Amino acid sequence: MSDTQTLRLARLINMAALFALIGVLAGSLHLQFGVGEQPCPLCLVQRSAMIGLAVGPMMNLLWGMKPAHYALSILAALVGSAGSIRQILLHINDPMGTGYGPAVMGYHLYTWALITFIVAIAGIAVVLLWNRPFTINDPGVLASVSRGIRVSGLVALLWAILWATVELVVITVAVLPECGLGMCPDDPEPIGGLGDSVGWVFIAVTGLIALIAAVMVDRRLARRAAAPC
Amino acid sequence: MMFSMFVLWIIVFIGIFLRQRWVTPLVLVTLVWTLVLLKLHMTDPIPLNF
Repeated sequence: MSDTQTLRLARLINMAALFALIGVLAGSLHLQFGVGEQPCPLCLVQRSAMIGLAVGPMMNLLWGMKPAHYALSILAALVGSAGSIRQILLHINDPMGTGYGPAVMGYHLYTWALITFIVAIAGIAVVLLWNRPFTINDPGVLASVSRGIRVSGLVALLWAILWATVELVVITVAVLPECGLGMCPDDPEPIGGLGDSVGWVFIAVTGLIALIAAVMVDRRLARRAAAPC
Repeated sequence: MMFSMFVLWIIVFIGIFLRQRWVTPLVLVTLVWTLVLLKLHMTDPIPLNF
């Protein structure tokens, strides 16, 4: 496998990881805005760790492949696991209770979150076994583009990064009405949701905004690369 | 309090876009802050409280 192919595959893996995390965050946003389930403090801790998980792939794509970037994602997964395990223990400790929030395919969301964190740690460990991308002097997409080097799949890559950013902004803004600047209520009251289908439309709109922004950035970069020095 | 955690992540993302050196330390600070907030919200005593 050539250096270019290795780099392309490594970037593809990181991009796929980023889209998977976007999917997880989109699901939680749908539950909040579509169904009307306000996130509990432990849920917000797990969301924060999910965002932390996305930092590694983002840095790998924009700055170049480095084991240190994966290390940050592993640490985020460990922090998130602490939140998930705490919530699972609360559920186990309440034998009469049916758990917190709705169950998806038989598991509550905090159980799915723990599965996600464990899969992420295992996945990163497997990717770290592949040493080749770290031996290529990958400058990352930011440096490549600024040097006028065309990056294949740039729109998809920008889309993933910008969508994750849009979701982070939505999550941040949504915390304010629930918690204000203080501590969040332990058992937040459900709010009137937008409805199942409107909730998904809302998620699709965040993706569309990110896609439009990605196309605009890509065109701007292409124009800059084509301009005579 | 929880709001500050996400504001820190927004600053991290801005740092990533601007390729700033302080991103890695700030990610670590944000993760520690997340753990602190987790501990602050551990209000129910359970046998395996940690």
